Amino acid sequence: MAAVATCGSGAGTTGSAVATASKSNVTSFQRRGPRASGTNDSGPRLVSIAGTRPSVRNGQLLVSTGLPALDQLLGGGLAIGTVLLIEEDKYNIYSPLLFKCFLAEGIVNGHTLLVASAKEDPANILQELPAPLLDDNSKKEFDEDVYNHKTPESNIKMKIAWRYQLLPKMEIGPVSSRFGHYYDASKRIPQELIEASNWHGFFLPEKISSTLKVEPCSLTPGYIKLLQFIQNIIYEERFDGSNPQKKQRNVLRIGIQNLGSPLWGDDICCAENGSNSHSLTKFLYVLRGLLRTSLSACIITMPTHLIQNKAIIARITNLSDTVIGLESFIGSERETNPLYKDYHGLIHIRQIPRLNNLICDESDVKDLAFKLKRKLFTIEVDFIS
Amino acid sequence: MLDSLLSFGGLVLLRDSVEWEGRSLLKALVKKSALWLVYHDFFRDPLNWSKTEEALPGGPLGALRAICKRTDPGPITIALDSLSWLLLHLPCTTLCQALHAVSHQDSCPGDSFPVGKVSVLGLLHEELHGPGPVGALSSLAQTEVTLGGTKGQASAHILCRRPRQRPTDQTQWFSIFPDFSLDLQEGPSVESQPYSDPHIPPVDPTTHLTFNLHLSKKEREAKDSLILPFQFSSEKQQALLRPRPGQATSHIFYEPDAYDDLDQEDPDDDLDI
Repeated sequence: MAAVATCGSGAGTTGSAVATASKSNVTSFQRRGPRASGTNDSGPRLVSIAGTRPSVRNGQLLVSTGLPALDQLLGGGLAIGTVLLIEEDKYNIYSPLLFKCFLAEGIVNGHTLLVASAKEDPANILQELPAPLLDDNSKKEFDEDVYNHKTPESNIKMKIAWRYQLLPKMEIGPVSSRFGHYYDASKRIPQELIEASNWHGFFLPEKISSTLKVEPCSLTPGYIKLLQFIQNIIYEERFDGSNPQKKQRNVLRIGIQNLGSPLWGDDICCAENGSNSHSLTKFLYVLRGLLRTSLSACIITMPTHLIQNKAIIARITNLSDTVIGLESFIGSERETNPLYKDYHGLIHIRQIPRLNNLICDESDVKDLAFKLKRKLFTIEVDFIS
Repeated sequence: MLDSLLSFGGLVLLRDSVEWEGRSLLKALVKKSALWLVYHDFFRDPLNWSKTEEALPGGPLGALRAICKRTDPGPITIALDSLSWLLLHLPCTTLCQALHAVSHQDSCPGDSFPVGKVSVLGLLHEELHGPGPVGALSSLAQTEVTLGGTKGQASAHILCRRPRQRPTDQTQWFSIFPDFSLDLQEGPSVESQPYSDPHIPPVDPTTHLTFNLHLSKKEREAKDSLILPFQFSSEKQQALLRPRPGQATSHIFYEPDAYDDLDQEDPDDDLDI
């Protein structure tokens, strides 16, 4: 039976296949027909925007979430026009990292950013984005990390399966991919990348004067202002497709931090039956309407562990498209449990949307754990539980 | 660590309860850090009906916001005797927003002076409120001190959340002298743990079987020294395992034998032409 020998001693046809594969950096299979990504002269039905790719299942346009491992779990990436809701962990250590990776991915791909927060100034958030690992030195980073991961176990010699001894323990994936980049959590993004990017910030204490009287309205004033701001940006920068003859289209990445916390003026974290307990759900509904009619994707982090009324959490989950929960082991009894000693927490994929589809792209594995290594945030299948 | 609580800035939340009161600790911390003390009393006359004090508009919240606009560049500690009192009179969200605005002023709008660090020290009686407001305030707090103790000895469990770092916690035993100075102590005498299980030997599931699963020492040695079929000597193993230069992935070695036909048009060799 024939097999591909990559040491170059095969027939000429196999060698050329390998050469074209390394040139296009995709796979070694050649697809017949029009190429789905990158070419500008493709048919009018395929949109070619930097940093996006169509889903292999249903052609939905996807953007990367900034963590390639998370992209794989969500079925390729985050669909444009949808909301990714991250339920924060108890001490809010790991969810800001996912938030920042999403924004950093936008900067690296040249997307427009909209950062909204009630806690920190968006300019400060942008200063703290992680640095991208670019192609030439990322391979060295990986080898170093894999080596560090392997050294304690490399002295376990396998007797029968000895050929697999040197294989890396986990799937790292293609290093130089244009969709989805790896980020170094210990370094800051270079200043020139931030300055070259187009971003808008919404900092709630600046937009709302403190003496504003709260009028009895269905949405808290902070949410109303944020929705108006998002709508203005979408309209002014033509993300809703209102002027299609203009220059190259782009994607708007919206990031909203700590939505639902008392700093936004919402009291669902403080009381079970507050006066405006429907405010957040209405906000999410209107936001989803804005996103569906524009080329944008949104990430929201929410401290759901503080929400007192559990029914609201269920409503929020239904109103968002993709929902991921982070549970860190700090402070819980699992921290000292020897089964979990390699990991920092668990990731729960609570919901994956069904977009133009009857079934959703669920991955088969449900027990996922994450750990923040020295530089990288990795998600692995937790084989123990 | 108890005496350096206020050096981090931000909101420091003191949670006390009926058994272990925190007002004396609050006064001790104020005494430790204060050089210049300004006292506002809003309890006696919250709406300033008797017009004795200078009119601070907006009540206690207005006073907090007025501190926000100060021009004094030194570090400042604001001690709130009871956040519980404020929580009962104001909506929780307003209080959270005001505390956040006061404790995070790296750049106050309209000021040209660099403002020093602000610490807000608030006393919260956690038994007066439900889990909602307490949870909301503790998520805002930079440091959280929960008072407890055993047998007449008070302890403070300090949970310090630095941004982007793991929270650290520590328990410190202390007592307060009558003149409100703080005395840090070691813990009470260590007694036997109240929850020490009697030693249960681990159950070995292979003991009561009808067949023998154990290996004796000789049998184990014989097993280890057994040469498996298709097992190369270790030199050949190392030679095969050593990664070739330029290739990091695994590869399959194949030598086509006489019956193979590398015909790309017909790889299965089943076309009859």
